[in-house]
Amino acid sequence: MYQYDAIDQQLVDERVAQFRDQTRRYLNDELSEQEFLPLRLQNGLYVQRYAPMLRIAIPYGMLSSDQLRTLADISRRYDRAYGHFSTRQNLQLNWPKLEDVPDILAELAKVQMHAVQTSGNCIRNTTTDQYAGVIADEVVDPRPYCELIRQWSTFHPEFAFLPRKFKIAVNATESADRAATQVHDIGLHIKQNDAGEIGFKVIVGGGLGRTPMVGVTINEFLPRTDLLTYLDAIIRVYNQQGRRDNKYKARIKILVKALGIEEFRNRVEAEWVHLRGKESTVPMSEFERLQSFFTEPAYETLDNNPESLSSKLASSAGFARWYERNTFEHKKAGYRIVTLTLKKAGQAPGDATSEQMEKAANLADQFSFGELRVSHEQNLVLSDVRQDQLVDVWEAAKEAGFATPTLGLLTDMICCPGGDFCALANAKSIPIAEQIQNTFDNLDYLYDLGNIDLNISGCMNACGHHHVGNIGILGVDKKGQEFYQVSIGGASGHDASIGKILGPSFAQEEISQVIQKLMDVYVSNRTDEERFIDTYRRVGITPFKEAAYAKAN
Amino acid sequence: MPKLIKNGEIVDNLYTWQQDKESAASESAIVPMSKWLTEQDNIGPVAGIWIDAGEGTEALAEIDLNQFDVIGVNFPAFVDGRGFSYARLLRERLGYKGEIRALGNFIPDQLGYLLRVGFNSFQFNDEVDLEKALALHKSFSIAYQGDVNEPRPMFLRR
Repeated sequence: MYQYDAIDQQLVDERVAQFRDQTRRYLNDELSEQEFLPLRLQNGLYVQRYAPMLRIAIPYGMLSSDQLRTLADISRRYDRAYGHFSTRQNLQLNWPKLEDVPDILAELAKVQMHAVQTSGNCIRNTTTDQYAGVIADEVVDPRPYCELIRQWSTFHPEFAFLPRKFKIAVNATESADRAATQVHDIGLHIKQNDAGEIGFKVIVGGGLGRTPMVGVTINEFLPRTDLLTYLDAIIRVYNQQGRRDNKYKARIKILVKALGIEEFRNRVEAEWVHLRGKESTVPMSEFERLQSFFTEPAYETLDNNPESLSSKLASSAGFARWYERNTFEHKKAGYRIVTLTLKKAGQAPGDATSEQMEKAANLADQFSFGELRVSHEQNLVLSDVRQDQLVDVWEAAKEAGFATPTLGLLTDMICCPGGDFCALANAKSIPIAEQIQNTFDNLDYLYDLGNIDLNISGCMNACGHHHVGNIGILGVDKKGQEFYQVSIGGASGHDASIGKILGPSFAQEEISQVIQKLMDVYVSNRTDEERFIDTYRRVGITPFKEAAYAKAN
Repeated sequence: MPKLIKNGEIVDNLYTWQQDKESAASESAIVPMSKWLTEQDNIGPVAGIWIDAGEGTEALAEIDLNQFDVIGVNFPAFVDGRGFSYARLLRERLGYKGEIRALGNFIPDQLGYLLRVGFNSFQFNDEVDLEKALALHKSFSIAYQGDVNEPRPMFLRR
């Protein structure tokens, strides 16, 4: 993974010193609440319902075991011994003290981590596929490009006070989009053209929140050397022309929609004419430098399906289940990608205790070259596990609460912290996740239902990505009471779509029954090969709606 | 005499920020861009013009900007970042060499970024302590991106 040199290190160190001074002046009343707000936000610090919340960046999801141990240690000493992995490859601490934050940032800087631009109206942490670099069918490893974007966006002097937050995600394979790129302000799909050159399909104007939209293509093939000048052009147009009068209409998607993609493209091109070919054009030497950090680890020459694996698959249904759901094909023979799920019943989705973080770090050291990934679905990933060690990893993962074999199934939910923590939330989301986990606890049934994305957000800001869940649940406030609106038909992959609202919202205790009714409609209508989303797309919303609102006899 | 920060020093403010379009211009006035554009043939000598957020710099493309001693950029709120692009365009695209002055509700903690996009003078609101602001008059010593002062990104300098 990327290693800081003296330059990168000096920059994060200076940032820590700057924030320490800003915090001191705020506590001394030299900086007003209003002035401190965007400054602390650009350092990942929110003030939440009960305490500040600190969002730490995990750039494009890469984490070394030492970094994870530091996060475990920080969450134990400065927080309540747990953290929450978010959908955008960040870790959130829910209970730090404001006055401790400079010290926390200083400790993070020692392991090349930071909280720079994890919130605020600026360019946020760039995200990508958690399987980057270890799957066979990607065009190229997207991580060097993510690091290029990370550096370009970090303290960009022109774009620190945009109309609204700005999120970029990168994908490098046709077979899947695990980074939800089409619902980002900019989604980049790495492509190779007929001449063998690497470039990007650029998608702009996607996003969730109050006005969910799937992005549109602004450029079919942007040569990689032009990436930064083109991003500068897009964001310069947005910075000047995006709406600033209404925060709910301030995202780039609203500008793109208002102008139409043709006109928006024309304006970007008119800007780009002046920037293209200038100093920010990326030279080959920089691509090579960045690629040099993402070389392959010392893989052994191994065969697929060793005896120890096949015999365990034959003898243990539990292992076979876990293998089928929670591991994924690796580009190297004899290796497998393992997801450590953070979706254990009784634990909020995406939450990990300090102890679990340490155990995951140890597993990474023992079985996966000391590195981990954080996924958009709020799980951890060991990317390079030998197949003949999978049984050991499974045993250890079970012991640590990482082996719930439900990856991609109904109960592998995306869920925001909701009203239990977040000041913005209209309703709690964690108890909904808990209710669904408790109701749908029969693994055979979950397997039979197959792949279903269920996403829960506690408010319209959509941190739980409810719009792009096959089933989405949104907390709403009705006269001070918490209710839940259910939508179906959303998807976040290459076939991205925004879900449709089923109808009037439901009381908290009704949710599992409603989900059960939706599942019944699916099961009775599906063909053999159809996933939930496929059946929905074929039969439409009506049968689901009728079932959900049918009165009991 | 009111003060401001210019080129890293606290100095006397020799110009008047004329916020309305109605008053007559003077040689020491920084007048609204739109006023100057409509009255340029008979407005007489002025110190310079100022651009409000939302106006952009396109209207200045054909104007010889170096006739102005100063061009102001107004920040209606410090979170309104349009002025960062305007200053950069004035320097990099329109070739303006004179003073670019930040006006309005920007705050001292933004100085690091403001300096990088081409501002060199800062007329803070009255309540700002200029001595304290001066302590923040610097950027980080490292920058990944190119900017007005150093167009080469870090990848050309590593």
